[in-house]
Amino acid sequence: MLRALFIHLSCSENPFPSGTLGGKKERSGKPPLPTIEAMSRSIDPALNRKIVSFGRSIFADLEDIEESPLSMRYWNSQLMQWSMSVPDFKVSLFRLVDVLPTLKSPEAVGDHVRQYLTEAAGRLHPSMAWLVGLSDCLLGRLITSFMVTRGVRQMASLFIAGADPKEALKPLRRLRRNGYCFTVDLLGEFCVCEEEAREYQARYIDALNTFGDEVPSWREAAPLAPGHPGEISPVCISVKLSALYSQTSSLNFKRSVDVLSERLSEIARAAQRRGALMYVDAEDSGNNPIIYESFKRVFSSPEFVSMPYPGIVIQAYSKGAESRVHEMLDFARSRGAPIAIRLVKGAYWDLERVLSAQNDWEFPLWTQKESSDACFERLSRILLDNTEHCLPAFGSHNIRSLSHACCYAEQRGLTPKNFEIQVLYGMAEPIAQAFKSRGYLTRMYVPLGDLLPGMGYLVRRLLENTSNESFLRHTFFDSEEVSTLLKEPHYSEPHDLAKDTTVPSTAATPQGDGVVMHLDY
Amino acid sequence: METISTFKNQPLRDFSEEKNRAAIESALVEIEALIRSRSLAAAPIIGGAKRGGCETFSRKDPSNLNVTVGTTEFASVELAAEALESCRRGFPAWQATSLSTRAAVLHEAASIMRDRSAFLTALIIREAGKPWKEADADVAEAIDFCDYYADEMLRIGPARRTQEVLGEDNVLFYQPRGVAAVISPWNFPLAITAGMTVAALVAGNTVVLKPSEQTGLIAHELARILYAAGVPADALAFLPGRGETVGRFIVEHPHTSLIAFTGSRAVGLEISRSAAEVRPGQRGLKRVIAELGGKNAVIVDDDADFDDAVRGVLYSAFGFAGQKCSACSRLIVVGDAYEPFLARLAAATQDIIVSRAEDPSAFLGPVIDEESQSRILGAISEAQGQCTILAQGVVSDEVSRSGTFVPPTIFRDVSASHPLWTDEIFGPVLSCARANSFDQALEMAVASDYALTGGVFSRHPGHISSAREKFRVGNLYINRSITGALVARQPFGGFAFSGIGSKAGGPDYLLQFLEPRVVTENTMRRGFSPDLSN
Repeated sequence: MLRALFIHLSCSENPFPSGTLGGKKERSGKPPLPTIEAMSRSIDPALNRKIVSFGRSIFADLEDIEESPLSMRYWNSQLMQWSMSVPDFKVSLFRLVDVLPTLKSPEAVGDHVRQYLTEAAGRLHPSMAWLVGLSDCLLGRLITSFMVTRGVRQMASLFIAGADPKEALKPLRRLRRNGYCFTVDLLGEFCVCEEEAREYQARYIDALNTFGDEVPSWREAAPLAPGHPGEISPVCISVKLSALYSQTSSLNFKRSVDVLSERLSEIARAAQRRGALMYVDAEDSGNNPIIYESFKRVFSSPEFVSMPYPGIVIQAYSKGAESRVHEMLDFARSRGAPIAIRLVKGAYWDLERVLSAQNDWEFPLWTQKESSDACFERLSRILLDNTEHCLPAFGSHNIRSLSHACCYAEQRGLTPKNFEIQVLYGMAEPIAQAFKSRGYLTRMYVPLGDLLPGMGYLVRRLLENTSNESFLRHTFFDSEEVSTLLKEPHYSEPHDLAKDTTVPSTAATPQGDGVVMHLDY
Repeated sequence: METISTFKNQPLRDFSEEKNRAAIESALVEIEALIRSRSLAAAPIIGGAKRGGCETFSRKDPSNLNVTVGTTEFASVELAAEALESCRRGFPAWQATSLSTRAAVLHEAASIMRDRSAFLTALIIREAGKPWKEADADVAEAIDFCDYYADEMLRIGPARRTQEVLGEDNVLFYQPRGVAAVISPWNFPLAITAGMTVAALVAGNTVVLKPSEQTGLIAHELARILYAAGVPADALAFLPGRGETVGRFIVEHPHTSLIAFTGSRAVGLEISRSAAEVRPGQRGLKRVIAELGGKNAVIVDDDADFDDAVRGVLYSAFGFAGQKCSACSRLIVVGDAYEPFLARLAAATQDIIVSRAEDPSAFLGPVIDEESQSRILGAISEAQGQCTILAQGVVSDEVSRSGTFVPPTIFRDVSASHPLWTDEIFGPVLSCARANSFDQALEMAVASDYALTGGVFSRHPGHISSAREKFRVGNLYINRSITGALVARQPFGGFAFSGIGSKAGGPDYLLQFLEPRVVTENTMRRGFSPDLSN
């Protein structure tokens, strides 16, 4: 069952949300968008055969990994799968999980449990109705509150390594002991004022200092892969840039870039002092132009122009991703020192869909998951063709996508030192293990934060974990299914990039029933 | 549930696209050149001819008081009489114009506005002191009104049989009312002006349009667009002028059949009273459609998502400096959430960017004019004696000196009887109070003379459904900001002292500009009925 969940994860990746379309204006004079014919061309059949057989070997590894029924993780995943089998219940439960950290008293928790779950619970299972019914009396409310709050905390602890850097030291050390490197992301509330923005920035600097003080002294700090650029330092952070300034907005573009560059510089200074690595995460297509602009400004400034491998993120679900890749490679060339580029599919697909639909804006992302998968492979090849300018980091749980990157790299004569794999903490350990054991440097993206700000993150992880129930019902993938999962993806969009490909607001979610955001870092 | 409309709204500009920012930037340059060369001027237009006024009004840019945006010639009462006479004469021909022609004129007007939208947006930014996003929305809404009312007229216009019955033919259809006096406000100087005007026109009425004194230039653009789109010269008179003279005259005039007004409660009540008075030569009761004020409340429940609620309240209260009838001026926070929520709201308010409207980064621009500024500042300083200021935004000296700016201001612990809590200020002033429970919050919210908009931030399903039922306002918004209603999507308008009449941008709106008639014909003659002989 658990294996099924992980395999499910490997496939359910949602290749979607963000990036401005085309990036036309930023890239005037640079290579034009590729034609759809070029984008649809199949890869060399020999390479494809290699990818499929590589992928099969990964799948075979997953078969062998069994988690002990004694572990908490096992029971949580069981519980989640069970409760998610009723779609109505799933919405209610997510909404409950979302509001829970705000509730201050057992009464309030009991009340919300009853409000959200009474109707659905009875239909689901008599014992659930009993649990919910408990909240009718005071003692019952205390019990319900205790159980529910504890349950959510436990679930959160699967995906969030601790409330703060100190608390995270142990799990991070364990990761390295197990052969994984990490990058740490700080979960935060939306920042509405400068005080909050400054606090958030201070948390990053504090994290760098805490890790800088502690990590290097670990026995486990020794490079996992000596000579790999990703192991220049065992400490790595991922910054959510827009939250460093409370007035970040497209209309406030110039000042947003000015202020964010300044504040990012301060974090980069701390990172440089500690010799740490850092990534700047991508966000939604409203903020991304500001983020890319700030990244370029900071890491081409005299102070940071030679900082090793500052990282940026490209979202393959964006129609503008390819021109963004070229823009960043151009940037690395002009900088004269390579950068790290994490390629992901993207995590804001739903948000962008709603925004585009409500405003009748052109949809900036690929509508079909398969297009994002195809784009991911195409961009993987471009990155691997340019390893003198970038360290590619492939952030995905999709076995086909990762296998493609590994096999293409090998065909190009590259070694595992030329790139790395990245996965989300708590989401895909068996997959991470399979790649790690083949000698690929594998980095975990590790969020830290309190339950409250972490809730948005947790809900997204839960959504991913529980989407597409048809997969979850499987406990075994026959070889035919594995073949399907390892098939080469092709662009499946309306085939004219120049034309408006606005998604009609009534169009079905491409994923079928699941809302599956993926690897949104 | 049935869906009412498939109308497609004019999209707002996506300002994350650089080309959209550039379009407004260059339109602002164009306007600046027109301002410098003193080329922006509006004057009355009657029977298609430009006319002189009795007074020249210079409109100062509220962001830059030393700059005159342009001038408007104000009409005299004599000219107003001519305007009414012209529209009375033009009525029969316009009434007889086919539905499809009248609708096509509106679609054409929408299309011209679409082509000129950047220019119109920039003009609103300078003349009304509206920040970019709000000015863009103003233009988009004007376009929507044209397209929507055109579609609506085609939907309701054709005659319909009431019932199928043997030997009798029963037909219901609508006729226009006659000459409409449209008196429009400055806060949505294009959208609301266009909405009332084109609704009256497409219904077959002729229109005497008296725009707000402060925003004659953009209204003049509208009039010219309507003529260019095919509105006959004697179906529309453009009549800028003083409310106390020209406005009063056209309301009182016996040949006025319909008055469409958006503005203050005081003037609305005065119009309502005056319209009820029958004057010599008058041929029927006057119909008044009035959209007045609001004292709109937002409730923040103790389980609300503060991230969303802080941003939602800030925008609702301070978007366009609180000068929207839909703006939030009362905040009610439930229970223990009061202090922590106010703390975050206060901190956020202090960091709002207050700047000139033409500065794209301005979250908050100036208020409409000096009179408004001193009235609002007066209300703030008067209240300061009795109420505590929670937070006030920062306006730099340089910005403050240049225009009619009022810092966004929040009062805490305001009592239910204080004028801050009961009277519409129409500026960036928000009053807060604590409720012990959600039910009490609902009671406080609806205990108002007004019933326009309202908002709730809550994640409690029971509270949300009780708000749907008991939070009786024209437009209730749950877990989002309470301004920015879209045509067709959120038909807009309230009741109580917030207005008489039905929702703008909704399916009932045009009916108010029409009179329904029914014709019944006995089709049986000497025992022979055509129904049966077929």
